[in-house]
Amino acid sequence: MQINIDIGKTLRSGSRTFELRAQLTSSSQRIVIYGPSGAGKSLLLKAVAGLSTPDRGHIEVAGRRLFDSGGGIDVPAQRRQLAYLFQDYALFPHLNVRQNIAFGLQRGWRNPLARVDGEAVRYWLQAFELEHVAHQLPHQLSGGQRQRVALARALAPEPQALLLDEPFAALDPGLRQRMRAELDALQCRLGIPMLLITHDPEDVRAFGDHVLRMENGSMAEIRDMDIVERNEA
Amino acid sequence: MINSFLAEPAWIALRLSLKVACWATLLDLLFGVALGYLLARKRFPGRELLDALLTLPMVMPPTVLGYYLLVVIGRHGVIGAWLQRTFGINLIFTWQAAVIAAAVVAFPLVLKGARAAFETVDTQLEQAAKVLGISPFGVFLRVTLPLAWRGVLGGALLAFARSMGEFGATLMVAGSIPGKTQTLSIAVYEAVQAGQDDSANLLVIITSVVCIAVLIAANKLTPNRNPQA
Amino acid sequence: MRALKLGVVLMLAATGTSAAEITVSAAASLTNAFKEIGAAYEKEHAGDKVLFNFAASDPLVQQIAKGAPVDVFASADQDAMDKADALKLLAPASRRNFASNSLVLITPAAATLPIKGIADLQLAGVARVTMGNPASVPVGRYTRHALEQAKLWAAVEPKAIYGASVRQSLDYVARGEVDAGFVYATDAAVMKDKVKVVATVPTETPVSYPIAVIAAGPQAAAGRKFAGYVLSSSGQAILAKYGFGRP
Repeated sequence: MQINIDIGKTLRSGSRTFELRAQLTSSSQRIVIYGPSGAGKSLLLKAVAGLSTPDRGHIEVAGRRLFDSGGGIDVPAQRRQLAYLFQDYALFPHLNVRQNIAFGLQRGWRNPLARVDGEAVRYWLQAFELEHVAHQLPHQLSGGQRQRVALARALAPEPQALLLDEPFAALDPGLRQRMRAELDALQCRLGIPMLLITHDPEDVRAFGDHVLRMENGSMAEIRDMDIVERNEA
Repeated sequence: MINSFLAEPAWIALRLSLKVACWATLLDLLFGVALGYLLARKRFPGRELLDALLTLPMVMPPTVLGYYLLVVIGRHGVIGAWLQRTFGINLIFTWQAAVIAAAVVAFPLVLKGARAAFETVDTQLEQAAKVLGISPFGVFLRVTLPLAWRGVLGGALLAFARSMGEFGATLMVAGSIPGKTQTLSIAVYEAVQAGQDDSANLLVIITSVVCIAVLIAANKLTPNRNPQA
Repeated sequence: MRALKLGVVLMLAATGTSAAEITVSAAASLTNAFKEIGAAYEKEHAGDKVLFNFAASDPLVQQIAKGAPVDVFASADQDAMDKADALKLLAPASRRNFASNSLVLITPAAATLPIKGIADLQLAGVARVTMGNPASVPVGRYTRHALEQAKLWAAVEPKAIYGASVRQSLDYVARGEVDAGFVYATDAAVMKDKVKVVATVPTETPVSYPIAVIAAGPQAAAGRKFAGYVLSSSGQAILAKYGFGRP
């Protein structure tokens, strides 16, 4: 999938200023943006999703112009058809697993019923082995189950791309490897392009077809994985 | 015994008080929820000043509020004159004026409850819903409100109890017309003025029982931490 | 010299001989006249202070009956004073009539309805008429009697907006919230730029104001002096200035 991003945004907090200057052009199916906390990775991802508005620049995903400050284009987040996985999953605590998964499939003002069913819901419950907890609320689930529900919820509306914000940071280290393998298999099977931000080099190794480094608001391409390893030493 | 009680002025005053309090609370919910959400979510210059102004009725003497209302909705007031010209309506001495007085006095209770409740709802959840394609109003109805309803309802119940007890502002704009605007609290006042102590005692007991019941319900709804993911 | 004066005042205050605080509960219609009488009394009796409590007459009786520390009571009709008497609140032989008044029908100054007399209150265009609450306000009682005499009570009562005192009724008319109202001639005079007197309403019982000393009042002796002052030529002159008639 073709991604073309060139944006700038200035954030002021008291006397501190943060400048985001991000450029990214890629046709890879798996893009990883790697960098320490506070580098601006989340801000970039949110800008792509439409949850944050850049001051200037443009964002193009799969041939669609989602944002262009010059042309006055700013497609609202609701219509960008992108999936976003939050670091803490942001599952709706008052809805059960079924309802969370079906949430994006119902566009009106009412939530899906507790017993909601349907092809998509059944598919995802099965794909992620969540059938036996389908009626439970998020606080009753394990960390791995929560991540799967969050993924299912994001993918159910058949988005064009998947944006992931530190997807494994909230999991126990032991679980991370397993979940990485699951995501790997899933992404291959669905063929859905993904943009992942992380500070964990293991994620870069697992998913980094095209890797960029981000630090203090600006980006650089990484060709050599050794640089990544050396930085972690 | 039941029949004679139902015909009692006390029963009529109670029904009127309940009617006024219900309408006032509904009005407060409409504006309180909207403004509470605005104050909780949007940042703009003068936000806290607006919050303070909207909370003012809670600390002002009801008679002062009643006077302002009288000046504004009275026949020669800014809004009153317009109502008279356009619809031929004069609000003074009507039960609708009693509703307005009670609504103004009790509004800060709903506003505070709503704002606090909305502030406890994680904005990330609203963002998640947004990315999933739900319109802003849909997000409010499906995510924000279901997670904030306890706090909002608690505020509404307090507003209801306050409306039941409203006196000063109500007396000024609605007067004391038995059956039309003589609420329980005003009826107590009139009974004491006329030396009818038995009547006053009965009215006081009725009002106290209703208010205590409402307050117990409000306390039971102290916001719970919703189980987070 | 100043220190000497201060010392004298403190001494007098300590002994409490002539410095008295007199509490007077008076009908609302007496507000302006009595305030001036109080000021004049204080000038003539240096050191004394007169505190006023103005409201409708019946509630004032209730307060005194429940123990309010009042020294003098002046009401707007004999009825209220009779109530006080029945409750054994009055000092013996202290009750005297001190003024009279007349009942008038008023309308807002800018009103356009053709109201020329109480009979016009029956007109369909007249929606709201204010008067004192007959249960607790003397002017309400006078009004009701007058309307009953004229066989108009049944027609006017549904339009009645009761005021808690005669001054509240006056305020309703002044604001234009009602189409007409019943107050005393002296009250109408207080707001002559906002209300106009349409007619004087003859009452079967003359509107006469009694004053009495309260038996259990904390300053009974000073109270008697004040009541005496109201009846004196000085007090009567002030009352006449505000439109009150002879007792």
